[in-house]
Amino acid sequence: MNKIYRAKSIITMNPNQPRATHIAVRDGHILAVGDASTIDQWQASWGEMDIDTQFADNTLLPGFVEGHSHMMEGLFWQYEYVGFYDREGPDGTVHAGLTSIDGVVARLRAINQAREDQTAPLIAWGFDPIFFEGRRMSKADLDGVSTECAVIVLHASLHILNTNSFVMDKAGVTAGDNNEHVRRDEDGQPSGEFLGQLGMYMAMRTTGLDLLGAAGSAQTLVNFANVARQTGVTTATDLANPLPEKDVETMRQTVNQDDFPMRLVVAFQGSGGDPEAGVAHIQGLQDKQSDKLRFSLVKLVADGSIQGFSARLKWPGYFNGADNGLWYIEPERLKDLVAAYNAAGIQIHIHTNGDECTEVALDAIEAALRAAPWADHRHTLQHCQMANRAQFKRMAKLGVGVNLFSNHLYYWGDAHISTTMGPERAARLDDAGGALAEGVPVAIHSDAPVTALAPLFTAWCAVNRRSSQGVQLGGDTEKLSVAQALRAITLGAAYSLRMDGEIGSLEVGKRADMAILADDPLSVDPEGLKDIDVCGTMVGGRVHMNAKPDA
Amino acid sequence: MSTTSIPVTIIAGFLGCGKTSLLNHLLANAKGRRLAALVNDFGALNIDSELIAAQNGNQISLANGCVCCSIGDDLTKALAEVMMQSTRPDHIVIEASGVADPARIAAFTQVDRDLRLDGIVTLVDATAHHLHADDPHLADNYHRQVTAAHFLLISKTDLVAEGTVQSLETTLQQAKPETPIAAIAHGQFDSDIILGLGVDAPHETPLSDAIRHDFRHWAGHMPAHVPRADVIAALATLAPNLLRAKGVLADDDGAYVLHYAGGQVTTSAFDGVPSGHFVLIGKPDLPNNEDLDALLKKQKECA
Ligand SMILES: [Zn+2]
Repeated sequence: MNKIYRAKSIITMNPNQPRATHIAVRDGHILAVGDASTIDQWQASWGEMDIDTQFADNTLLPGFVEGHSHMMEGLFWQYEYVGFYDREGPDGTVHAGLTSIDGVVARLRAINQAREDQTAPLIAWGFDPIFFEGRRMSKADLDGVSTECAVIVLHASLHILNTNSFVMDKAGVTAGDNNEHVRRDEDGQPSGEFLGQLGMYMAMRTTGLDLLGAAGSAQTLVNFANVARQTGVTTATDLANPLPEKDVETMRQTVNQDDFPMRLVVAFQGSGGDPEAGVAHIQGLQDKQSDKLRFSLVKLVADGSIQGFSARLKWPGYFNGADNGLWYIEPERLKDLVAAYNAAGIQIHIHTNGDECTEVALDAIEAALRAAPWADHRHTLQHCQMANRAQFKRMAKLGVGVNLFSNHLYYWGDAHISTTMGPERAARLDDAGGALAEGVPVAIHSDAPVTALAPLFTAWCAVNRRSSQGVQLGGDTEKLSVAQALRAITLGAAYSLRMDGEIGSLEVGKRADMAILADDPLSVDPEGLKDIDVCGTMVGGRVHMNAKPDA
Repeated sequence: MSTTSIPVTIIAGFLGCGKTSLLNHLLANAKGRRLAALVNDFGALNIDSELIAAQNGNQISLANGCVCCSIGDDLTKALAEVMMQSTRPDHIVIEASGVADPARIAAFTQVDRDLRLDGIVTLVDATAHHLHADDPHLADNYHRQVTAAHFLLISKTDLVAEGTVQSLETTLQQAKPETPIAAIAHGQFDSDIILGLGVDAPHETPLSDAIRHDFRHWAGHMPAHVPRADVIAALATLAPNLLRAKGVLADDDGAYVLHYAGGQVTTSAFDGVPSGHFVLIGKPDLPNNEDLDALLKKQKECA
């Protein structure tokens, strides 16, 4: 059980000992951190320990903490990936990106023809039409995959899906009123693309499948943890989950296994229903927690997304003139919910995308804290993509943290400049530099599966602020340094989960959770941050090396 | 949409505007319909425990055959679950959240052959109308709800002065001239009207000819031959006070069924002998019977 690991270098995130080369682990915790000169002292005090050199060429960091992801990431790997970018699956296989609609159709057709049961629904995910120069996928495209089974392609944003004629005929889709949620072709007929909940409803009615229902099957959890391990993540979140008893049991049985390579923090989905019942539900789960599984948060979703034009914006609104977005929770009700959870001592994470929504969320938190003061609440705004400096100042004063969606800069940065926000406001999108400067505790996230789970890529986004077309959003004031970005994906995210006392840095007494990297992120060119190889992780002292797919 | 499709009524309006009272009223006055009510919060409904036949998880079954389902965070799932149960309801009532766009909810009926839109009923709170219409965070939602409505109900009229209701009615009428408006107090309103808007009804559905307590009802025989344009023009003059109309008539293009609901007229060819029978349901402010007789050139008393 006792072991000293020798590494090429160890980045600790402990300001008083930023670098080390040796780290001793006992009973899942960090016993000592130092270098070759301190080993003899350790052995004298703590007894003989073997020196393990398997990481002699690696750089060790605190295990990465993904503060905003969804278990759905694990569910989706049971579907077919058809995204534009290469993406690494749970077994380490790299699924090549598909750069045309015909490419997507060809891959799905091949998959279908290789299947035993060609009448079962065929579900694909990760599709992103913004890269295909205006052409939209149609039912005719997907009829090319099959006319004998339901073919459903989920878009990367999760707000849109495409179907083939089989699904539309089964559903009995009618032309109906002019409706922005049913996309039409040139002839005014439904094209096979459906927006928002409509598409999900259709899929559910025609296939019986709840496509986003992460309902925690063991396989979903294992896939999720394996993707996390591939990218150096040792603690991930599921934001959020209704946490029915059956799923809680599955989580306990799966996550608590010694060989399950990840800690999981699950937020209770509190947007709907009665807050008193929500408080009781969370309280009832407290004794079902373990060192690897937590039910400590409530998540509230207050508006929609910017790229879906459903985020609530302050004046002057959307750059392309679209109507203001939708509240997902009435501002009055948000106040009641925040007040109830705050008064019960339950930490709240609020999804806000637009700046109007951020303002309303801060109003709610301020009122709740007036009614029931709580010095160390750590309520956190999730995404919070359009917050301005005045809002960050307010957050700092209120003790509210932020977890910014830095991956947006890359994936949707160009669309934000040209269509949703315009150049000036796009410059402050996910302004991590501004938030830090105003004294707000900062984390950054992927919102996987919306974008790929990969904290080093997320850090790269916050450091370089570059879109997929190579355009930089904002300037140096909005950027993070590499050191700040690494802190955001470790201690920063751990703080937002109230776990910075046990994870997030490599210090004596903390849990032995590490990311094992091939290169030193503080020494590589900041451009290369995203390309550093992750070799594996250590979780509670147990090493989980990455799968190397058959070459 | 098929003739056996289940009608869907959407109740919209802000938090506290009286949606829950209206839902309670509809559940208690379902008049033999097996309603499925999809609601945001069970607790708020406050259903009398003696009426509850069974409760499991997200559903409460009532002794009169109705069920209440909790929407929770996911309307998609709640609605799909109702539709996938072995016994289907006769009518679905969806309580839209205070900030939902009811038109988006209505679009569900467009992607499910087993559903049809019966109508969107938007409640406007007489005590808080200005708070909502002038609130910078809510004004656009308020207008979406009013715009989407097929029937506007001014709620809590018992709590404000008569003049307030009238001026609110005028404001709403200017905003949506073709949509019927009525007042409602204590959440009580004839369930046959709320659940009988028939916006997207198949033409075979008989128009109930029961006389509504607070509502005007006119029935008679029109001349056998009336150009549809004339009838449509006549109905347009009644628009703000007209809820529904239906008749089987004929003109140079042949026999036709004319249907008016939710502010819209539809006509379709009729295969048979036109009866000339015509029915109107509207608000008390419809013109008196003699004027209606004259307007619609009534031929003889209807049996
Ligand atoms: Zn999310």
